[in-house]
Amino acid sequence: MFSGKIYVTYSEVNAFYTRAEASLPLPGFIRRNIGGEPERPRKVGSNRRFMNRRLRNALKGLTAPDDDRRRRAMEPFVRETFQIFIRYLYRYLGNEVECEDVLEDVYADIWENPDRLQEVDSERQLLRTVYLYYMRKRLREVYRRMNRHLYLSQNDLTNLTAPELGTLDTMSQSELKHALGRALGRLKARERRTIELWLEGMSVRAIANELKTTVGAVKMLKFRTILKLKEMMSEYCPEE
Amino acid sequence: MADTNRKIQELLSDYAGSLRDGCLPVFLQSLTRQEGKTMTCSDEFWEAAEVVRVLNGVGFADKAAIADAGLFASRVDANVASRLKKAKSSPRARRTNGTRSMTKTQKTEKPI
Repeated sequence: MFSGKIYVTYSEVNAFYTRAEASLPLPGFIRRNIGGEPERPRKVGSNRRFMNRRLRNALKGLTAPDDDRRRRAMEPFVRETFQIFIRYLYRYLGNEVECEDVLEDVYADIWENPDRLQEVDSERQLLRTVYLYYMRKRLREVYRRMNRHLYLSQNDLTNLTAPELGTLDTMSQSELKHALGRALGRLKARERRTIELWLEGMSVRAIANELKTTVGAVKMLKFRTILKLKEMMSEYCPEE
Repeated sequence: MADTNRKIQELLSDYAGSLRDGCLPVFLQSLTRQEGKTMTCSDEFWEAAEVVRVLNGVGFADKAAIADAGLFASRVDANVASRLKKAKSSPRARRTNGTRSMTKTQKTEKPI
């Protein structure tokens, strides 16, 4: 009977990626600045289990009923997940210091109430669960104190700083890099240049000087290009 | 951000810039009532904001990931220790410092 699992060997996936990338090469900027080629998934199927053994062991320790045992399990868990979580948080805050402050509370919340992590069996699921049940609550609190001085409602402020998970948010960092690289490759030269210059850290005025146009035109071009990117990247979003 | 009546593309550009430079509060405080409404009503803004966050994560998140995980683990441990200490101190012991809730104080007051 068909069990619903499809296993593909590493060499098959690797061969597929090699063929796909030969036809659609990543732009040089992505190779240079965003960390090169994406990681290759080892298995393709509905029950993917992409979690290394150390992380799985750390998670096991976290679900122990004893407080002290859970406390001891926090260190390996932090070591295994720090890079993943802080990169994810950086998307929403853009500030290293705030990211670390929020993440510290997130880990302490996980220690206090790790029930949500009991059923987690892949890195993607871990990130998703941690965002929905631990990070989001803390992200909402970051700018809440400012709200009385703002013209945004609490709901809109929450949507801006701690949004619901969109299609792109569920993708891992390596998948995003890959999708972004391919989407950038499909843009017109001028659109791609605008995004690349912005990613290199240039201001809108500097980009306008570089492209020999006005600041307003660059803002409009960037806005339209970003919407286009959203559409293109959604095509690469893998189904759950 | 001196302009007080920015259009949606300008708002997005400023949001993206503030996220990239790590100064989101400056952007939030620069919003006027009208701009807040414009943002709220625009679906395109929210869609584009999602991509901006992704670009921010893919392009710049490595800056945040250079911190020492071991050092950070000790920070987390200190936070956990502090919560453990709080949990161990019973609510009864905490109340012995003389503070009382308003309702209790009111109950003991004699009516005039």
